Amino acid sequence: MKRTAKSIDAGRRDFLIAGAGMTAMLAWPGGRPGAADFPSGPIEVVTHAGLGGGTDTTARMLLIRTRRNLKADAVVNPKTGGGGRVAMSYVKNRPADGHTVMAITPTHLFTMAQGRAPLGIDDIKGVVRSTDDPIVVMVRGDSPLRTMEDLVKAGRKTPVKWGTTQIGGVDHVAAATFGKEADTRIAVVPFEGGGEIVTNLMGGNIQAAGLNVTEAKDQLERGDFRALVSLTEKRISSLPDTPSAGEKGVNAFFSTVRGIVVLKGVPQERVQILEAAMLKAMKHKTYQGYLTGNGLDADSIAGSEVWDRQIRRMYADARRALLDLGMVKQ
Amino acid sequence: MALTGAAAVWASFQDVQFLALVLAGTLTGILVGALPGLSSSMATALLLPFTIYLQPIEAIAVLSALYCAGTFGGSITAILINAPGAPPAAATAFDGYPMAKNGEAGRALGMAAVASSLGGIFSLITLILAAPALAKIAYAFGPPEYFALAVFGLSMLASISGEMAVKNLIGGALGVLISTIGVDLTTGVERFTFGSPHLYEGVHFIPVLIGLFAMTELYEQAGKHRPNYERIRLSAMRLPSREDFRRVWATILRSSGIGTFVGILPAEGGTVAAMIGYNEAKRWSSNKQNFGKGEIEGVAGPEAANNAATGGAMVPTLALGIPGSATAAVILGGLQMHGLRPGPYLFEEQPALLYAIFAAMLLANVTFLALGLVGAKGFSRVSLIPRQFLWPSVFVLCLIGAYGLRHSMADVWIMMVAGVAGVFLRRHGFSPAPIVMGLVLGTLLENSFAQSMIIFDHAATGFLQRPIALLFFALALCGLFFTPAVRLARALLSASNTGKRP
Repeated sequence: MKRTAKSIDAGRRDFLIAGAGMTAMLAWPGGRPGAADFPSGPIEVVTHAGLGGGTDTTARMLLIRTRRNLKADAVVNPKTGGGGRVAMSYVKNRPADGHTVMAITPTHLFTMAQGRAPLGIDDIKGVVRSTDDPIVVMVRGDSPLRTMEDLVKAGRKTPVKWGTTQIGGVDHVAAATFGKEADTRIAVVPFEGGGEIVTNLMGGNIQAAGLNVTEAKDQLERGDFRALVSLTEKRISSLPDTPSAGEKGVNAFFSTVRGIVVLKGVPQERVQILEAAMLKAMKHKTYQGYLTGNGLDADSIAGSEVWDRQIRRMYADARRALLDLGMVKQ
Repeated sequence: MALTGAAAVWASFQDVQFLALVLAGTLTGILVGALPGLSSSMATALLLPFTIYLQPIEAIAVLSALYCAGTFGGSITAILINAPGAPPAAATAFDGYPMAKNGEAGRALGMAAVASSLGGIFSLITLILAAPALAKIAYAFGPPEYFALAVFGLSMLASISGEMAVKNLIGGALGVLISTIGVDLTTGVERFTFGSPHLYEGVHFIPVLIGLFAMTELYEQAGKHRPNYERIRLSAMRLPSREDFRRVWATILRSSGIGTFVGILPAEGGTVAAMIGYNEAKRWSSNKQNFGKGEIEGVAGPEAANNAATGGAMVPTLALGIPGSATAAVILGGLQMHGLRPGPYLFEEQPALLYAIFAAMLLANVTFLALGLVGAKGFSRVSLIPRQFLWPSVFVLCLIGAYGLRHSMADVWIMMVAGVAGVFLRRHGFSPAPIVMGLVLGTLLENSFAQSMIIFDHAATGFLQRPIALLFFALALCGLFFTPAVRLARALLSASNTGKRP
């Protein structure tokens, strides 16, 4: 309770400073040429999902402090539809001046990998990563499958019923890749979202599922679910006792990530200004509180270099997996 | 437990800032609920970042109050202009708008307020008494059970509005067909999208509903040769009478139960609850033939159910951390943002927070009842505005309503096309309600069937081992064959009687 009272006071103070900041912004001189001029107008963050979803909420949390760091207004512009295609074709037709940025998720990368997107992986450049939520293979607490080896062995007899989201999406590809790499068989049962998967794993309709840590944090803590293996190279800090796919020699690394990208043509200086402002915003306690409240750790955020490399690797993984599944042609 | 709870609820009512925030949430809720294109899930999402500056208890109280009031607010526009302000109010338009057209807008609005409030309070009491135990129901519902529920819902099409069961079934099938547009969940294949990214995520039922109901009405009105100067009916502002309440109490009670139950299931929530509430109101009514023409039970049924679903949806949200509806998902996000993790232990460790949420929702239900009854007289004047002034503004609301849902121009075009299609459908005796029901339940029907078959290793006999699913299948069969069977039995009986007489 004490902590809460303190954060309220801090909140009020922030609010006042924000007010002062806005007043200062009105007096900000505009129209100077050159890179020092950036940003000369509001920053538009293009999302692909409706209001209130994870992407929207993350973008808004990120913008709270970014506005102040950039001394510019920033808005979220949802362009829904087509698994990110509507958002991508909108961004493609905006000037590459850094005032339009796009919030992306694995959905965008998978749409690109399916060859159906108006933008290619080489048309975008990563600015910052805002969340990183690895996929962890889970079973119910009382399941006879106690380890990853049990699951692999069971699948060789009869396919393991494994809950995922949309076929052709990151969860499905993670399951299929795991099955291939661990040499076992998986029957994918697709659901509309993480909540449904949790309910069905709990209700015993499926035997296993690839879930984000954030989606099943309570169930793991209470022992309702058991984490068998995290689809990461190294163990994740929130699950120190769960082996990683990397140490088990299974080459299947998948994560639900969110981050900001810009068009390739945006000048490097401007990318750096955006990166610095957003990284600073995400290190502030407002955003950090949002991360920890959702069960994510501080490693979630990353700068341009790490993030840009990650999206390229995820794209390549997705492309390969979809080719294997026969969902795209060479 | 219940006593300390009541004391805690009472204590929250004495906190001025708490009261003010809940009132503000309720007012905002009614407003965004009533305006097509703005929904409570959207409003809560937009408010979420601002609630950082509040105490956790206050933040969640505002969001929950907004949720309750938003569900009620939707009925106002559904009744007055045939365009539901929020998805759960879809079924309210079926009879609410005909009532307004008959000059009984005040009666319909008043009933909507009372039914909503009673439904909401009923579900809250259930929530307070039995949330942790009830939450387990959510686990008992897997894909086979949802499939059976969807079949049960669709079986009602044979009896919903309009005289002709066959045309209703055709309409329902059309709705199910439209629901197959877009990417298929279980195969990842795009169907009927013609390569357009705008159809990738499918056709949402809201633009279709606004088109079929409000736009069709608009086209019909525009097609009339002369402006229709109607005499102002004073009865438009009259509130429901004691006689009305005596007639609908059973409907309200039944719908409250249905709504609470469907709300607990983490599927469609309020919208499906309202559809089932409407169907059941009709099935048990002695005025079946009046449904669709302005029957007051047809307003009470869905309104009690959709507001009861708000309390129901909070059960899995708070007790399991699984959101029971879109707005509940945002509220869940709000809880997490304030460092509170929902789950069974929340009931043990944070009782104060829980009772504050109950208090806020209770207060919201009482407040919108008062505002709804007082406001009904004012709102109902909308139905007295001459049509040549009213309908152009309805057109604007239709456009905003279709666009605001997903910020998509494609949805606006879908709405316009549905409106034109509605004119032809109406001329040929098809009523729009079954199409909307088919569209709402179609996706659930198909996905849950495909999921069930994977779970059953592609053997349909697996359904026989699921008692809850069997129960719903049996109810569906009863719904379809009960009336014909009774008729047949009567015919046989009278035949044998006449046979004996001579």
